[in-house]
Amino acid sequence: MFILKNAWISIKRNKGRNILIGIIILIIACACTITLAIKNTAEDLINSYKSAYDKEVTISFDRANMMKDFDPSQIEGRENAREKFDNIASYTIDDVKSFADSNYIESYYYTYSVGLNGNNIEKAEIELNNNMSNGFGRGKANNMSLTDFTLTGYSSVTAMSEFINGTYTMNEITDNAWDIAFDGNYVFINQELADYNNLDLNDKIKLETDNGNIYEFEIIGIFKENEEGNGEPMSMFSNSANTLVTNADAVANITNSEEINATINPTFIINSYDNVEKLQNEFYQKGLDENFVLQTNEEEATSGVSSIENINSFATTFLTLTLIIGGIVLFVINMINIRERKYEIGVLRTIGISKFKLTMQFVSELVIVSVVALILGAGIGAVSSKGVSNSLLASEINSSNERDEEIGKNFGGPNMNGGMFDRGDRGEMRGKGMPVIEAYDSIDAVVDIKVLLELLGIGLSLVLVSSIASMVSIERFTPLTILKERS
Amino acid sequence: MANKKNNNYISKDKIGNNYVSKKQLVKSNDGREMKDNDGINEKNTSSKNIILSVKNASYRYSDASENDYALKDVSFDFESGKIYAVRGRSGTGKTTLLSLISGLERCTEGEIIFDGKSLKDMNLDKYRNSDIGIVFQSYNLLPFMTASENIILSMDANGLKIKNKKEKAIELMEKVGLKESYANRKVLRLSGGEQQRVAIARSLSYNPKMIIADEPTGNLDKQTESEILDIFKKLAHEENKCVIIVTHSQNVCDAVDVIYDLKKVKEENKEV
Repeated sequence: MFILKNAWISIKRNKGRNILIGIIILIIACACTITLAIKNTAEDLINSYKSAYDKEVTISFDRANMMKDFDPSQIEGRENAREKFDNIASYTIDDVKSFADSNYIESYYYTYSVGLNGNNIEKAEIELNNNMSNGFGRGKANNMSLTDFTLTGYSSVTAMSEFINGTYTMNEITDNAWDIAFDGNYVFINQELADYNNLDLNDKIKLETDNGNIYEFEIIGIFKENEEGNGEPMSMFSNSANTLVTNADAVANITNSEEINATINPTFIINSYDNVEKLQNEFYQKGLDENFVLQTNEEEATSGVSSIENINSFATTFLTLTLIIGGIVLFVINMINIRERKYEIGVLRTIGISKFKLTMQFVSELVIVSVVALILGAGIGAVSSKGVSNSLLASEINSSNERDEEIGKNFGGPNMNGGMFDRGDRGEMRGKGMPVIEAYDSIDAVVDIKVLLELLGIGLSLVLVSSIASMVSIERFTPLTILKERS
Repeated sequence: MANKKNNNYISKDKIGNNYVSKKQLVKSNDGREMKDNDGINEKNTSSKNIILSVKNASYRYSDASENDYALKDVSFDFESGKIYAVRGRSGTGKTTLLSLISGLERCTEGEIIFDGKSLKDMNLDKYRNSDIGIVFQSYNLLPFMTASENIILSMDANGLKIKNKKEKAIELMEKVGLKESYANRKVLRLSGGEQQRVAIARSLSYNPKMIIADEPTGNLDKQTESEILDIFKKLAHEENKCVIIVTHSQNVCDAVDVIYDLKKVKEENKEV
């Protein structure tokens, strides 16, 4: 009580100095509230965004490795490359199952694709080459002949439904489609193909292999593209009007019954992106040709929140700088404060007030001023955090768009997001074969209890750090020396 | 002068001190008892009511060389009900001795016994805000506080639990000759003598057994000096407190019961 009473008297006595300290802490508190709110909200958004994704790994052909010894000017070099290419060991479904038996893998699925011709249907005349988008350079794709249709079988109903629902919109579907999709020869087809051939649900289509064998499939769903092709080269490759989606067993039945080449595209769901290199080595040990490498979807999984991550990074830097500068300023003010009050310390020590009590009095003064300033700062920060965060994000998105446009102009294309993503006008990110992703274009930085507790922690830490000056001085000062100086 | 001394001893007789000597005793820090003005020494030391003993106390500053003592091998006893003067030329260690007996510093060698306990074993903060009161030449009051607030601060430091501290502060002020109307005055608005009275009142706020004063009249005129000394004498002789005054002033030395002379350590060494 005595400590608080003295602290209060001292605060009232030194109004000017305490108002100055209060203003500094208010500014720090305000900046911290805003940055903490932005940081926490951004981290939540990033985490929820990333958690919406499975951490996927696929097997890709390592073209750079393959071509490193290739010298096109030498006939010998070309022959060596061809020989090397022919000798690449492909992988089978059994290999995929063996690869999947790993501690790093949580689950897996694969697609099994085969090229077939139409028997009672004709291909929709849109696509340039339906096989170009499928497993190019993987498995036996290099041997796959040009056909009218690609029959893609999924090993997992979840993967299949995510593929269809993520990339397309289901226009029509039979009541029991998902129940029977893996029980026989059932397919989902593209609306364009259905229109082109006047097909409807429950119609049966016949597909023919190069060997002349015919396989019948019943239509249980019709999907359509989410967006029409916008004329960009990549969208033409991605058009899947002539892709028929079925289950992997149906494709396996065809490939097992006759000599026919198929493409296996496995996707492994891993527990951490950090383990990819270890996993790749494990795959090699299990027999994967070293011309294949593992690729993750990490970049895709994070690209939708890149602006938010930039804001988060900015907030972290700003917060750090604020705390360092604020801490130093407070420390210096306290040092000056202590020097001014040296005599008072001497008198109080002489009349028997212990160093601890005296330190507590000085800390209490700072805590009282800080708490008031922190409350005000938190209030101001709470009011302004949403506006500031959205303004920062808008500015970040603008500059990001400008960068993209500039790169696009320089490289002669509308954008350079690559083949995997197209960025829409409203920040929509679209992955081929992946769910539609909405990139964040607003951030509601909320000052919640977590922010307030963090702010309180920061405030108290600052108070303690800046109180070190008083603690050290009180420890060092000998009352008699102080009083002698005064005398 | 003789009358004054007699008056002093009349006071002491009133409170029952066993004094054989009716004359002033002068001792030096080299252990020799010196003759006072009348050549009579203190006797019958076995009946002393010793409150504080300085036993072979030495003090050396932490940054000083091994033999560079500010105070060397000093032994003095202080009794309740007596007023003492510690005198000596500059550099003899008066203030060092004061800081040792007031618990502001600890002896490098030797020890100080207060009321049967060594200061080494005592909490010196508690000692300063319970057992002794300190009065300085420059008063050492907090200038931003009123006279009564300065006194109350000392009560608070002691943890004194009384209902009306201000009333008690005023009572103490009146005891040292300050009117109630001074209570609410900022100390800077008081004269030197008045500030010193407030400082004395502050030192009495928790009723200590001993008052230690460092040149308490150094900044005051003769009239005020005399009044302040009267206060100290009353505290010693009427309230049985031990009052130790570190001083240069002959007036103070004339007023006290016992004078301890401090000599420079180097001089002393030469003599030895």
